[in-house]
Parts: sequence; C-alpha cells; structure tokens
Amino acid sequence: MSGIVLRPRASLEARVDLTGIVPDKLAGLGLSEIEHLSVPHGGRSATLADLFFVSRAPDGVVVIEIGDERLDHVGAGMAAGEIFVDGPVGAWAGLAMSGGILRISGNAGDFAGAELSGGRIDIAGNAGGHAGGASSGSRRGLSGGVLRIAGSVGTRAAARQRGGLIVVLGNAGDGLATDMIAGTTCVHGTLGALTGRGMKRGTVLCRNAPELPAGFVDTGTHDLIALRLLSRRVAELGEMIGAATSARRLVGDTLLGGQGEVLVV
Amino acid sequence: MILNGVEIRDNFAEAFPMVGTRLIITADTPEWAMIAGRTTTGFATSVIGCGCEAAVEAVLAPEETPDGRPGVAIMIFAMDFKSLKSVVPLRLGQCVLTCPTTACYAGVETGKRVPLAKTIRYFADGHQISKKIGDKRFWRMPVMEGEFVCDEDTGSVEGVGGGNFLILARTRGAALAASEAAVRAMGAVRGIILPFPGGVVRSGSKVGSKYKGLFASTNGAYCPTLRGVVDSALPPEVGSVLEIVIDGESFTAVAEATRVGISAVCDVGAAGGIVAVDAGNYGGNLGPYHFKLREIMGATP
Repeated sequence: MSGIVLRPRASLEARVDLTGIVPDKLAGLGLSEIEHLSVPHGGRSATLADLFFVSRAPDGVVVIEIGDERLDHVGAGMAAGEIFVDGPVGAWAGLAMSGGILRISGNAGDFAGAELSGGRIDIAGNAGGHAGGASSGSRRGLSGGVLRIAGSVGTRAAARQRGGLIVVLGNAGDGLATDMIAGTTCVHGTLGALTGRGMKRGTVLCRNAPELPAGFVDTGTHDLIALRLLSRRVAELGEMIGAATSARRLVGDTLLGGQGEVLVV
Repeated sequence: MILNGVEIRDNFAEAFPMVGTRLIITADTPEWAMIAGRTTTGFATSVIGCGCEAAVEAVLAPEETPDGRPGVAIMIFAMDFKSLKSVVPLRLGQCVLTCPTTACYAGVETGKRVPLAKTIRYFADGHQISKKIGDKRFWRMPVMEGEFVCDEDTGSVEGVGGGNFLILARTRGAALAASEAAVRAMGAVRGIILPFPGGVVRSGSKVGSKYKGLFASTNGAYCPTLRGVVDSALPPEVGSVLEIVIDGESFTAVAEATRVGISAVCDVGAAGGIVAVDAGNYGGNLGPYHFKLREIMGATP
C-alpha cells in the first residue's frame, strides 16, 4: 500500500474532488503514476501533480499537509489505511468509508461521514449539515464505524442513521436523527429543534432534554444497566455517561410507529 | 509415590473432548449474582443425565465485569456444539433472565458462536433494543423490573471433560474433609469447573450395567461395602471413597486443577485419614486425554 503526502502548490481556485485518493486504492502505484492520477477540478480535471507537490509517505498513509474547504470527498470510499488532513476539508469527507481512519484537524463541510459503514473519522473542528447522514436520494445514513466531531454539527446530522456511533462534543443543529433507523448518536451540547422526527429505532444520548416532536412520549427516569455497560465498553460514550446509572427515557416517534429513544443522562 | 503418607497410585484419569462456553453474570449484589450462577448451573452434574455439565467457575469483583457490578463466571460444557447451542439459551432464558437485577455477557470471545440474546430476545415481544458498536452487539429487553441486558452471543472452546481423581480414606468424614479442602484449593484455578454437588461425587460410575438401557452404574471396585464381593480396588483400611470430577477449557487447566486438588488432599495426609489417591479410567481406550497422577504430582508448580 503506497503512501503519499499532498501539499498544495497554491490556493485552490475551484473545488477538487479527491474521490479515489485513498490508501487502499493507491496500493501498488508508483509515485509517478500517483502524480498523474486525474481528479475533477472545478468544471475540468487536473492531475494531482498540477495541484499538489506529491511526495512519499509511509505505506498505507495519505497526508494532506494544508487542508482546504474546497477539497471534497476526502477519504471517500476508503476501506483501509489512514488519512491525515492538517486543516479544513470540504463536503463529503469520508463518504461511504468502510474502514480505515480519517483524521481532520479543522472543520468539515456538509455530509461528513455520510453513509460511513466502518472505520473511524475524527474531526477536530465543526462539521456542516447532514453529518453521518444519508447522501442525496439514499435511504440509509451512517451504518457502522465511529464518527467523532469535537465541535458542533449543522442540521440533520444522523439523518437516517442505520447503525454505528456518532459523537458530537459540541452542539447539534435542528433535525438531529431525523428518520433514524438504528445506531447511537451522542451529543454533549445542546440539541436543535425537531430532534428525532420520524425516528424508528436507535438511541440519541444527550445531557439536556431537547425540544422533541409531538410523537415522543416520556417514560420517566430509569436505572439502566445498559448505561454502565456502554460507559465501560465504548470509550467515546464513557466520556459522556461517566458514572451515571440512570437516564430519562423519551420514546418516539410514536406517530410513525417508531420506538427510537432519546436518553437524557 | 507417597506424599505426606498418602499413596499416589500409578494410574491415570481418562477424559474426553467437550465443547464449552463461559458466561459472565452480573447483578446488583454478589448474592444475587451467585444465586443466578447457581440456578443456571443447577441440574448439570453429568451429561449422562443432564445434557450438559456446568458450575460456577469464579466470583468476579466489580472491576472484572463488563458493567462494573459484582458477578460470577460460569462454564457450561456439552458433548457437541449442537447440544451446547441448545442448552445455553434454555438455561439463560429460564434462570438468568428471570433472576432479579442480573445481566449476562459473553465470557469467551473466540471459537464458534453460541447464541444468547440472539435466541431469547423475542421474549421482549418486539420491544427488544439492539445495540451494536464495533463488533459487539448486545440487547436490552424490557422486563417488569426494568431492563435485562444481554450480549448477542458468546464464543466457545474445545475443552476437556471428565478429568478426575479419587480420594481413598479411612472414614467417610476423612474423605469429606479432604474433598472439601481440595475443592477450596481448586477454586483458585481459572478455566475449570467441578460440576458435581459441592464439587464432589460420591457415586462414581463405571460404564454399562447388568440392566438393559443403563449406560452407567455404580463403580463396584471402589465401593467399600462390596470389598470381597467384587474385584475391589480398595485395601482393607479404606472405608470411604469420594471423587472430584473436573471439566476445563484446556488439558493444561484440568491438569493444573488436578495437581492443586491432590496437593490439598495430601496436605490433609495420612494423619487426616487419607490412604491413597487414585483415578478413574476405562483402560485408556475411550478418552484421548490421560492425566497421569504421578506425572502431574511430580511436576513442579
């Protein structure tokens, strides 16, 4: 598995689609072949060497030395290996990743971690709308793996989430977990309006009871053994649950026959 | 070989392959964890009549369990994987699910998967909640008391069943005291269980019977009251014999438990009324695992 470092030659004048520039797909390619890989750049295409200084990195690693919010699809489709981005990225970061690790030290645009099915994405900054959600026209959002966002997320994060884990250390915008099917989303900060609308199954963990749609019912506060288990078994959830053993359990969206839950820890 | 006046006979225990698994049962208190553990492993002394062999393996401190509560580890062994897959969910559903405050987790990660909540989750009638993070899935089942939490499945091991040794004593009291000492000492060995009541068997068996349809019958050679009536293995001074049967996750674990148990018996010694330690076998032709007493007791711990 070949590794590369990408350093932009200059500020990007148009959006760049980095689909396919992932460690597992670069495997076996020489440096020259990688430099000549073509990527969409605005309305045209360009080679990697046109846009970046390309140099060797350890096998299985892709490093983007200076991130840019015009870099779209960073890590999209990755199945193995590691990608490090020093700075922000654009939309669709980690789209449909099935394995490996994507670390972004800045902000990410919309649809970060959308349809993730395995592996791990760490975003040190904020993420835009639809983080961990479903891409346009798709029926399922994030279905496996871990998406951890140290900042806040925009609207409709975790929409149609099907499994896996999303952790937001900041706040979540409106429509969190809309049409959620399964999985777990944990938000340390505040939640926007209409959290969980259309939720079928799955769990939203939060600290403060959000404004929920009318289809949610309050089952009261319960001592839940599952909290103790999750706190110990899943490090990311342990950060929020800590030693808490009880939570207020709100179930919905019952208007649509759903049995999802919002646990206020 | 004579240790503290106790003869270690030149014999071997003959054991068989079994498949087994381990469950971690937790509860709000150590007492309820033990109640669940003992109930789940009840009526599981011998595969001959119970379908499996099971017992509490160890008491676990809160820091050793997945949910940080007191717990016990139990092991269940069966003759084949199909039987194991059948008996484990049955016992889980009847004895752990029903026991107040308990939760149940996988105690083995490797090997073929034995269903736990995968089978019994339907009791929740559609209200069961699955949670899968990483490779591990567990289920939450609403029950009248609150929620029953249980892992989806557990792994299995290809273990050893039927390791044993016999304690030949002058009196019933001496045999019992030595047995109790052995069971206490063997409790510190992980990876093994002693499936019989209190870890001790008083009715060791031989293969077959004069009666059609009986697979096993009393081991007359070691019955003191039949000395002289049958071809006895007991010298005149032996008045009582008790057996310790050991199932374990590996040959090594069973051998270590055998060593620890016999050492405890020898500590009681001739002064405590112990005459000899022997072992049960079928001539060496049936079971592939042979635990040679003198080799085991000659090994340094």
